[in-house]
Amino acid sequence: MNKVYFFFLNRDQVLRIRASSDDQIDKLQLLETLEHLQLDFWLHPSNPALPVDIRVPFGSLQAVRAFLGYHDIEYSILIEDVQVILNEEKQEMISNQRRERSNSNFNYGAYHSLDAIYKAIDDLAAEYHGLVSKLQIGESYEKRPLYVLKFSTGGPDRPAIWLDAGIHAREWVTQATALWTAQKIASEYGNDPSITSLLDTMDIFLLVVTNPDGYVYSHAKNRMWRKTRSKAAGSLCVGVDPNRNWDAGFGGPGSSDQRCSDSYHGPHANSEVEVKSIVDFIKKHGNIKAFLTIHSYSQLLMYPYGYKCTEPADYRELDTVGKAAANALTSLHGTSFKVGTICSTIYQASGGSIDWSYDFGIKYSFAFELRDTGRYGFLLPADQIIPTAEETWLGLKSIMEHVRDHPY
Amino acid sequence: MCLAKNNKQFPGLIYLFSQTATGQNTERASIFFSRSCLLLFQPVLGTGHKYYLQFTTEDYKTRENVGTCLAIVFYLKRKPTPTVNIKCTYTKDQKEVQEDDHRFYQKIRQHTKPIIGSYIPDSYGNIEPAFESAWALAVVGSSYIMWEKSTENLGYFMAQVKHVKQWISKDDSIDFDYAVLLHEIPTQEMILCHMRVIWIPNHPLKVKYFCSSENQSAESEDVSGMESGSADGILNERAANF
Repeated sequence: MNKVYFFFLNRDQVLRIRASSDDQIDKLQLLETLEHLQLDFWLHPSNPALPVDIRVPFGSLQAVRAFLGYHDIEYSILIEDVQVILNEEKQEMISNQRRERSNSNFNYGAYHSLDAIYKAIDDLAAEYHGLVSKLQIGESYEKRPLYVLKFSTGGPDRPAIWLDAGIHAREWVTQATALWTAQKIASEYGNDPSITSLLDTMDIFLLVVTNPDGYVYSHAKNRMWRKTRSKAAGSLCVGVDPNRNWDAGFGGPGSSDQRCSDSYHGPHANSEVEVKSIVDFIKKHGNIKAFLTIHSYSQLLMYPYGYKCTEPADYRELDTVGKAAANALTSLHGTSFKVGTICSTIYQASGGSIDWSYDFGIKYSFAFELRDTGRYGFLLPADQIIPTAEETWLGLKSIMEHVRDHPY
Repeated sequence: MCLAKNNKQFPGLIYLFSQTATGQNTERASIFFSRSCLLLFQPVLGTGHKYYLQFTTEDYKTRENVGTCLAIVFYLKRKPTPTVNIKCTYTKDQKEVQEDDHRFYQKIRQHTKPIIGSYIPDSYGNIEPAFESAWALAVVGSSYIMWEKSTENLGYFMAQVKHVKQWISKDDSIDFDYAVLLHEIPTQEMILCHMRVIWIPNHPLKVKYFCSSENQSAESEDVSGMESGSADGILNERAANF
């Protein structure tokens, strides 16, 4: 006993108490009311089947031990040195509680408001706080934060993979897929050897909602809204097509100079803050090795170029990687994807994001167009969200593994 | 087998399929355009572009394969509407097709009250069972519009039925008024079309329509009400073949 005292001098302890009867539970609940002891109940007394954990300030230890001894209540010392590990364990318990809450409460197979998505992002970052952190890379035109989830196991300036979704507001399956993917990446670390090895050497950045203003507008006013919500003096029409606003063949064929057009490229490249924020982030980071953007619909997997109808220098490799990814995707639910350059697969389009990223030097630049092929189009039923996310994951993983295995 | 290059979408082909069926004096209202595959793209020197296509069609409800078609679509220079040679093989015979169409027809006729609705599917992709048939009919009716509006480089998908209102007719026909949104590729515009569809089984659809672009001029709360009075103010009528 003396030895114990000496060891724990000036240190709080966490006691784990095992009540053996309802009567003992009553006693512990009484203990809770004694405020002068300043007890911090980590697990509250509720029923004898569950332990009661109490952080006891050093000054109250004697009193508490006496109380427990008097009532024959069994206990053990859970944490001997609270000062050192207090924060971390409490945090872990909060995360555990959040994990239970969020896993059972958040429905990944439904379409959510921006607020609900942002909350889910916070919950995810808290739940997997060792791996996942939330960064703000800027603000939208209407001053909504642009949140990026960073998946990292440490190390400065690691090579990284960039993923974004929802650059076009009405493509709701993409934001939903991105959120599911975030949860998947976080939960796979430590479980899936491939993702674990990837995250042990690389970081992942995921922008779930690239165009939050547009997304909110598509919920509140016009489900078919595509563009940003930027306003310009002298025009009645709102918004710029953010995927015609990048500095890659800007203003060329496949984009419109009419403000009211759904493919209006904007007054100049990077005029849209949503686009500029990403460009600035990527330039500042300096070590992004892959740029993957998610759209819907059409079931396509494309690589540059869109602004010109010539093949990129890395055509052979990109085509091989794309085809392998598409095969992996198809293997799950049979959803078939076409693979090719943007120009030959859909149409010539200037000012697109993956053309910019590729010309910037990010070799592995791909754009996904998810389900379906026109039956529901943008209005993809919610029961297809998870199957879409699951199959897309296999495609993404295939590309990410290639990036991991082919550093440059 | 499918070419990746120049693999354009041909959503207007659902009408083509209907056209061939028309040749056999029947109209297929219950089918849906499915996968297309470009077999060959052949520029014809000085004349235009030929596309050799294979596509399948499926039942709108069961998604089962209904037929496979081979089509040669020939776009002549300066003529938006191509000439088409098409041959189809059907998984069902004539009798089964007529039975399908009659079932479809009866389903709609069964309603005691006129079908009236908005936003089908809704924002979340749901289609109420009561509106399924009206939606399917809108797809077929829209395909007429798409066939006429599409060009070699401009195509469409029906994005949503904004409004539907059934007229109860004195005769045996089913009669619907629609406002549909067509998603235009590659412009990405949403085109609002008002469409009147009248149909009796074993007859071709009668479709009248008027389209305008949704995104022009000032924004309003409910964009559906917008008719900008653009130059598209031509009432088009697709007359019956009889």
